[in-house]
Amino acid sequence: MKMSKNISKTLLIILFLIFSSLTWSNENNLSDYYKTIRCLVCDGQSIQESDTEFAINLKEQIKKKYEKGISFKEINDELVLIYGEEISFKPSKNHFLLWLSPIFIFLIILIVVRKKYIQQK
Amino acid sequence: MKKNLIIPLAGIIILLICSFYYIYQPSSQKLNSKQVPDILFETNDFYRSENINQENLGDFYIINFFASWCKPCLAEHPLLMELKSKGVKIVGVNFRDDEENFVNWIKKNGNPFEYVIRDDGTIAYEMGLIGVPETYFIKESLTQKKIQGPLFYEDVEKYL
Repeated sequence: MKMSKNISKTLLIILFLIFSSLTWSNENNLSDYYKTIRCLVCDGQSIQESDTEFAINLKEQIKKKYEKGISFKEINDELVLIYGEEISFKPSKNHFLLWLSPIFIFLIILIVVRKKYIQQK
Repeated sequence: MKKNLIIPLAGIIILLICSFYYIYQPSSQKLNSKQVPDILFETNDFYRSENINQENLGDFYIINFFASWCKPCLAEHPLLMELKSKGVKIVGVNFRDDEENFVNWIKKNGNPFEYVIRDDGTIAYEMGLIGVPETYFIKESLTQKKIQGPLFYEDVEKYL
């Protein structure tokens, strides 16, 4: 009898620990995600750090959607659709021209310098 | 002569590619293409306890986000009252406000709205609200213009 009481107590504790760790990891995931969302009314802050009405509302709306089972990617896509790309601290990777432009410029300079060098020779 | 042309030509080509890319980027970021979210018409009007009648609003109307705790909202309120007197239909969205404060605020300052709905932040999120007050000019269910902050006479003079 005593033994079964002990087992049920242990089980309850284990269940409590699992539940609390799950809740904690959910909160942790959410706060990590909030850090990637820019607060549009505060300079350089994410909504995680900001206490403005805009940030508070956005955090609530994101939390609601997350709890409904919507993934961060889907939430992010929706946010970009509503607020534009500036809402995210992680820009999409379609700015390849911007990233490649220094290489283009470097190549052009290299060709010009090489031609000048050959001409001088 | 030909050699001198290579660099400017390369520059022009790069510029053309960039401009083409900029013009044809996803249209989602263009405000004009934004449609009024359905949730606005699925929410009950505070005073009449019925949904907003889109036909009654007509082709052109204004959506104004306000709150009793927001001081700039008070500053633009007389302008909204004037718009109402000229027959412009305004949908008021009371953003994250205490019900009692909101009712008293409307009683004290007048009601310029055709419909008033209370929002816990969901409609604001769907509309892309940055802060109150914020006003959207809607034509044929599409946002034509959005004004962040209080309205000034110049913003609405063509409707007065």
